Amino acid sequence: MKVLELKKVNKIYDGSEVPVHAVNDVSLDFDEAEFVAIVGPSGSGKTTLLNLIGGLDMPSSGEIIIDGTNLSKLKSSQLIDFRMRNIGFVFQAYNLIPVLTAKENVEFIMSLQKWPRKERDERTLELLNAVGLGDRINSRPSKLSGGQQQRVAVARALASRPKFVLADEPTANLDSKSATTLLGIMETLNHGEKITFIFSTHDPRVVKMAHRVITLEDGRVISDDVRE
Amino acid sequence: MKDDFKIAWRNLWRNKRRTMITSASVFFAVFFAVIMRSVQLGSYDRMIMNFIESYTGYLQVQHVKYQDNPSVDYSFVYSDSLDRAVEGVKDVVSVAPRIESFVLASSGAQTKGVALLAIDPAKEKKFSNPENKLVKYTITSDVFDKIKSSRAIPEEIADKLEMIVGSSYSSRARLELDLGLSSSDNDLYMDNILRASAVPNGFLAENDEGVLVSSRLAGFLKVSIGDTVILLGQGYHGSSAAGIFAVRGIIKMPVADIDSKLIIMTIPAAQKFFDVTGKITSLSVNLTGKSKRTMSGAQAGIGKLLTDKSTVVKTWEDLNPVMVQQIQGDSQTGLATLAMLYFIIFFGIFGTVLMMIAERTREFGVLVAIGMQKNRLKRIVTFEMILLGILGLAGGMTVSAPVIIYFYFNPILMKGDIGKMMEDIGWDAVMPTAWFGPYFYWQVIVVFIMVLIATIYPLRKITKLKVIEALRS
Repeated sequence: MKVLELKKVNKIYDGSEVPVHAVNDVSLDFDEAEFVAIVGPSGSGKTTLLNLIGGLDMPSSGEIIIDGTNLSKLKSSQLIDFRMRNIGFVFQAYNLIPVLTAKENVEFIMSLQKWPRKERDERTLELLNAVGLGDRINSRPSKLSGGQQQRVAVARALASRPKFVLADEPTANLDSKSATTLLGIMETLNHGEKITFIFSTHDPRVVKMAHRVITLEDGRVISDDVRE
Repeated sequence: MKDDFKIAWRNLWRNKRRTMITSASVFFAVFFAVIMRSVQLGSYDRMIMNFIESYTGYLQVQHVKYQDNPSVDYSFVYSDSLDRAVEGVKDVVSVAPRIESFVLASSGAQTKGVALLAIDPAKEKKFSNPENKLVKYTITSDVFDKIKSSRAIPEEIADKLEMIVGSSYSSRARLELDLGLSSSDNDLYMDNILRASAVPNGFLAENDEGVLVSSRLAGFLKVSIGDTVILLGQGYHGSSAAGIFAVRGIIKMPVADIDSKLIIMTIPAAQKFFDVTGKITSLSVNLTGKSKRTMSGAQAGIGKLLTDKSTVVKTWEDLNPVMVQQIQGDSQTGLATLAMLYFIIFFGIFGTVLMMIAERTREFGVLVAIGMQKNRLKRIVTFEMILLGILGLAGGMTVSAPVIIYFYFNPILMKGDIGKMMEDIGWDAVMPTAWFGPYFYWQVIVVFIMVLIATIYPLRKITKLKVIEALRS
């Protein structure tokens, strides 16, 4: 089942003297429960593409359709609401809310969505156990290691059962062991939750685990390999 | 809402030191503003109470033209029934009839223009109480020589005594204050000084035809108790007023200008002198309080009793426009000082806001990215700012409240020249705080407004927040 569709998407930055074509005529489809890595050299447009898919930025032309909704047609507040309900984010620098505990960070999106308390608690514990942090639920981010924080971020991204999760270089700040653990967890959740994961990455371990690898160069898709 | 409040509260303590410093600045601003204003308003209250209750009264019945032209021509009919009726009005505590005019006073070769105040001695006790101002001790050169030659006091005290030769005193306390003796010297020598300087002084009986003369004027006219003064003035509607009056007593008025030109007599004597039988120039009224409601209620009540349409009831503010202006001017200066204080504190708060925004732009970006509406984010930031204000405000008010209560019941004693001056005038030389009133509660509004103004900046920033730029910051 198709969850995300990009049709002739372009992103041109006009700020500098020479316009930069960061994403160039990209058309892609993503199905449910895919585990996708977007790779390419620095400046190839990976992060820009993720930002466009996540509705954090708007394309200069083309359409991004998520579950039948064209993002360009949404107003600012509708877009925020749409993101909350359909997209999970995992950032390179974790970006947990520092004043909230691991549990509170994970249930934050659910509370924004006004989930009942009981369901919130159950889902939060389920996810924190799944990422191996069932014993650190009351720890604030400052008391967790980088790897642990990123695992909380993954749990947070999955909390409200989004259509897909966007992860921008999720292992970039992690040591090898933490990165391997995180990838294992994400793959397990991808299977278990049937949620699509889309990564931008330089990390060969991520690429190795991906079921589909999209390679970008100068904003263009130069390959889109699906592995069995 | 509860979650927003929780996040705001925790955000506040992310940087404890900064929150403490900002709250402390609000705390000190509120504390000093409240105390400053309380002392200022308290001193106004005391000044008004001292001056108004001892002289003009909170209300005064006058001829409509008397204030602009204080002449006995603008006197009005006064009777005991009016007196009793006014005393029966709600909130009226006491009344005092008076006749005030100007005359020439003469004795021997000396003549001087003086103020004449005619009173009801019994009723005036509740107002200016001139009996309290009768001179009880006078340090003349004869008195000084007598004390010195008797060797009743040591040399250094004699030197101090010599400094006040020519002065008169209506109280032992004032004489002690001027001599500046230690308490042991007071115990040892004051009785000798008082015995030698005591003046037998009289007061006015109810229908007395004599006068009290202020001490400096008595010195000028060279009169003392038992002597006579000739008064010459203009009576009712151009009639000439002339009379010879025995000096019953010498009074010491605290203000030098008044002490050099005041003669007091009884109302019947003045009515006869000015040919205004049955009339007075003013009826002073003291009330239970000076609130606008009390004054306007009593003013209306007394107004209804006045059958003579040429008379009006004036408030102490109408009668003392200069004093009102002085208070207003001083109050404005005080408010300007407070405004400056708050202005400085505002920038302290604003500095915190700027730092907060600089530190948390990325976090704001993340929150909006993962689905928090900007309005909710604004609400959290507004809560943070309000909590920051409340911390300082609550602290400032909590600490200032007992200080206000303490100094309300135990006023600051004024010492030095200011204290002497106040005592000379017959006022309590104290500076109390004002009881809790609008000035106290206004701090809440001022701090709240300050916080809201400081909050405009982060709210604007959030409104204009671009998620991508915020995430890159």
